[in-house]
Amino acid sequence: MSHPRVEAVAGEARAAIGAAASSAELEAIRVKYLGRSGALTQVLKSLGSLPAEERPLVGAAANEAKRELEALLESRLAGAQAAERRLQRESERPDLTLPGRRPPRGVVHPLSRVHDEIVRIFTGLGFSVAEGPEIETDAYNFEALNIPKDHPARDMQDTFYLSPETLLRTHTSPVQIRTMLAQKPPVRIIVPGTVYRRDADITHSPMFHQVEGLAVDTNVTMADLKGTLTLFAQEMFGPRSRIRFRPSFFPFTEPSAEVDVLCFLCAGAGCRVCKQSGWLEILGSGMVHPRVLKNVGYDPEQVTGWAFGMGIERIAMLKYGVDDIRLFFENDLRFLRQFA
Amino acid sequence: MKIPYGWVREFVTVSLSPQEAADRLVNAGVEVAAVTPLAPAGLRGVVVGEIEAVERELGESRGHRLVLCRVRAGQGERFSVVCGAPNTRAGVRAAFAPPGASLPGLGGVTAKKVHGVESQGILCSERELGLGEEHEAGLLLVDGDAPVGGDLVKALGLDDHVLEIEITPNRPDCLSVLGVARELAALTGARLHAPRIRVKEGAAKVRDLARVRIEAPELCHRYTVRVIDGVRVAPSPAWMQSRLRAAGLRPISNVVDVTNYVLWELGHPLHAFDRHTLAEHTIVVRRARDGERFTTLDGQTRVLDAGMCVIADPARAVGLAGVMGGRNSEVTEATTSVLLESAWFDPGATRRTSRTLALKTDAAYRFERGADIEGLVDANDRAAQLIAELAGGTVARGLLDAYPRKRKPVRVRLRMSRVERVLGVAPPPAKARQILAGLQLLVRPRGRDLEVDVPSFRRDLAIEDDLVEEVIRVWGYHRIPTTFSRGEVKPARESDTGRQERLVREILVGAGLAECVTYAFSDPVKAAALGTARQLKLLNPLSQDAAALREHPLEGLLGVVATNLTRQQPGVRVFEVGRTYEPAAGGDTDTAEPRWVAIALAGARAEAAWHTPAATVDVFDAKGVAELVVAGFGSEPSTRSGGALPGFEPDSHATLLVGETVVGEFGEISASARAAFGIETPVFAAALRLDALPAEPRTPRHESLPRFPAVQRDLAFALGERPVTADAIAAAIRAEAGPLLRTLTVFDVFPLPDGRRSVAFRLTFQADDRTLTDTEVNAIHERVTQRVSAALGLTLRGA
Repeated sequence: MSHPRVEAVAGEARAAIGAAASSAELEAIRVKYLGRSGALTQVLKSLGSLPAEERPLVGAAANEAKRELEALLESRLAGAQAAERRLQRESERPDLTLPGRRPPRGVVHPLSRVHDEIVRIFTGLGFSVAEGPEIETDAYNFEALNIPKDHPARDMQDTFYLSPETLLRTHTSPVQIRTMLAQKPPVRIIVPGTVYRRDADITHSPMFHQVEGLAVDTNVTMADLKGTLTLFAQEMFGPRSRIRFRPSFFPFTEPSAEVDVLCFLCAGAGCRVCKQSGWLEILGSGMVHPRVLKNVGYDPEQVTGWAFGMGIERIAMLKYGVDDIRLFFENDLRFLRQFA
Repeated sequence: MKIPYGWVREFVTVSLSPQEAADRLVNAGVEVAAVTPLAPAGLRGVVVGEIEAVERELGESRGHRLVLCRVRAGQGERFSVVCGAPNTRAGVRAAFAPPGASLPGLGGVTAKKVHGVESQGILCSERELGLGEEHEAGLLLVDGDAPVGGDLVKALGLDDHVLEIEITPNRPDCLSVLGVARELAALTGARLHAPRIRVKEGAAKVRDLARVRIEAPELCHRYTVRVIDGVRVAPSPAWMQSRLRAAGLRPISNVVDVTNYVLWELGHPLHAFDRHTLAEHTIVVRRARDGERFTTLDGQTRVLDAGMCVIADPARAVGLAGVMGGRNSEVTEATTSVLLESAWFDPGATRRTSRTLALKTDAAYRFERGADIEGLVDANDRAAQLIAELAGGTVARGLLDAYPRKRKPVRVRLRMSRVERVLGVAPPPAKARQILAGLQLLVRPRGRDLEVDVPSFRRDLAIEDDLVEEVIRVWGYHRIPTTFSRGEVKPARESDTGRQERLVREILVGAGLAECVTYAFSDPVKAAALGTARQLKLLNPLSQDAAALREHPLEGLLGVVATNLTRQQPGVRVFEVGRTYEPAAGGDTDTAEPRWVAIALAGARAEAAWHTPAATVDVFDAKGVAELVVAGFGSEPSTRSGGALPGFEPDSHATLLVGETVVGEFGEISASARAAFGIETPVFAAALRLDALPAEPRTPRHESLPRFPAVQRDLAFALGERPVTADAIAAAIRAEAGPLLRTLTVFDVFPLPDGRRSVAFRLTFQADDRTLTDTEVNAIHERVTQRVSAALGLTLRGA
């Protein structure tokens, strides 16, 4: 249905579109043929000057050619634009190996990490958290815990004094006493806190942190203590962790036990960290001494109890391989960021 | 305490190796810190050699006369040995290292030429053997009856191991060879043979030679005396010297060595007086007088007080009871008559005396842990017998025994049901009985239970649970099963403070800060530079720069800032959750421990990077971080200029309030405070009072989201001619704008050329029920602009 008059223009336009190399050229072709004064538009405009019998033929052919060219332009233009955008982006391609714009990252102190982990484990086992003052009386820190004045057991905990009767607590155990004085059994608490001993070297800090646990009820035994500490060790050091008890002495427990955990680095085979023993000493524990129970008004015939205490630094040192306790208190950012 | 294992085995028949014995003891709660061989490491193959003849002189070398000796070392074995020792002579037996032997310092011995002659081995001095420092005196000679060719280590009694025992304070009974033997016997079931003690007494009666009077029975419950007359003080024999050396003691003389020997063997401290130095040959045990001066054996003159117990004669003090003897009555070479003390002194008083005078002795160590008040007679008898054997002399007949405070028998009933109740497991009663009897306790069955008489050397066993521990200690802690308590189940609670502190840490770590933990100790010099004045001081600080407790919440962090800047960290952004310590009337200790979160920022906020220019922190970083924490608890703090904490620059210090409650302060640390910490960079800090913040954030309440568009208007004022703060302008804007003003931000602040400051606000209006029209918003904006400028006397800029 084409018409020679139209076909001359359309053929030229098709050839031009076919030869166009860019969207700009395609745009120019659109103007040249389809624009207001474009060649094809001129054909349509000139219909009036044609003989009447030719008008519909030329008109129909011109309209068809216009639709055809528009469609052709549209499809070529999309392809050309996509190619040009790709080219453009390629020329501006970012170097993705450059470092990212990172928001600053904070870090929890390693001692807080271990503290939080211990608290999480024991609250999960049904222990509530109790706290108390760091400046304590001799009575709560020692006497109520069966450590009389002038007793050699005081050598185990060299003490900072503020006055003859006031001191920096040497353990978190006075909080046991305060808690038991304030409530009736059953008691199931853990006591995290800062404690002080007059001692300083690469494994002893004059200030350090403890978590202590206490359970008093009508029916708790040393076997329960072993069970609870086994669960703790498996949560803290891995599911294959084991513990063992060794006899020891603490004035406020009877019997007393030192607790070792299977060395998690060598799984008991013996290594440098466990000094070839296969075991790591991590805490002290025992059954609450009947005298301590009496001191807080509990009847040792009615209730029994157990208690344990561990040093957070000790566990952090073992867990993270820190060989000098002073690093925790120096707060070198390069050290702290290792725990981010 | 060093315990030679061979000595232990004289009292108990066990076939355990030293390490096995140590393991058994450790597993029963007796700590053995080390097991070490007595012989020096690297000493091998050295034998007893006999110098048969000195064959010829070889001349001098470095001041020594060298000789060639013929040494016999066993059946038909002869060696030609060059030697320069002054005590080289035919007939003596000496330490000889033949070729193939090994010496601690020198290594392997080979035959080699010395002074042109081949020497087939080395005759050794004490130093060459690693046994001591002696070298100039010459060869180490051994007893004439030591078998020639025999192992030197054996001949010297060094074929043994030493157990380094470290007892817990409750087990003084293990502070002796016999005590360790007793423990091993109980643990293995082996037989214990205590040393047989028989005193051969002379005709003279002790009560004619000495008298005892106890004037302070509360400090001295028992005092016994034996007298040995006609002694000759001299060095003790080689066997005793080598035993004492093995135990880490220095031999002195036969009499003194015996007291030390018996101390090690039986565990009871003894003291030997020269009887003739005692006025009226009388011992008076009394309290010291306040200010009494006394010269102890070590030559130190000490000032005593009435809390201390002294041994005296009627004229003067002659000993510090349970701690150390006196110069004026010590046994010397001239001593011929010995008064031997074996007594029991009060543990607390002994400990106080020892600590007050800073005089720690083996005797005090034992008395303060509780000596054996019944066993002390054996110790006295044993020592008297040994002195008579080694120093000659005669033991006088009888023992003076002043015993004003007789020990009450201790009888404890052990219910097997209690064993089970405490441990969760119990051995059969017969086993428990066997265990307790093995520990030398007197046990009688009473039905299913046991009745136990506790001997005087186990002062730690006083109540039933003490026996429960003895049973399980020996039976084995590994027999305690692993169970889980069946107690009441209650929800566990984190503490309010713990939860609050955890939230604060989460906020600050999220904001990119590093958490620190610093010492609660304070350096008074730095604290003074920070301006604190009510510090709690320690009576016994470890050092002067840690002599007090911190009163300023930022003291620890400023130290951290200094450390990190010194170590070339470009930016320090740190915080600490901690306490300060101050006097405060009330409570148990008249102190208070307010809780804080301290924040310190210094140096770079952002390091220069390809995408970000470098920037340094300023006071608004500190304020912003502080605000973030307060906002985390659901409150927007307001700011008031100035504050109560010292240590800030006065012109850069403000207080944060929630309502009228002060929740914290922030600002720039003063230059003088920084100087005390050695910080040159400006430090911006904040301290928030955790006790003033809520325990937990407010529970959020949902409000419907706005459905209609917001409209923004900006407003800028020139500040300067009047002291108006941004805060005051904002408050005025809010008051005038009414409820349609939803947010108000300060979006620009900059200095004007005329010295004033431009502050620009952005107001966002929004309604819940309609789209606001320009007319409506313009009317509000107009009103706000005019009224606020008029009320505060501000100039509107470029509106």
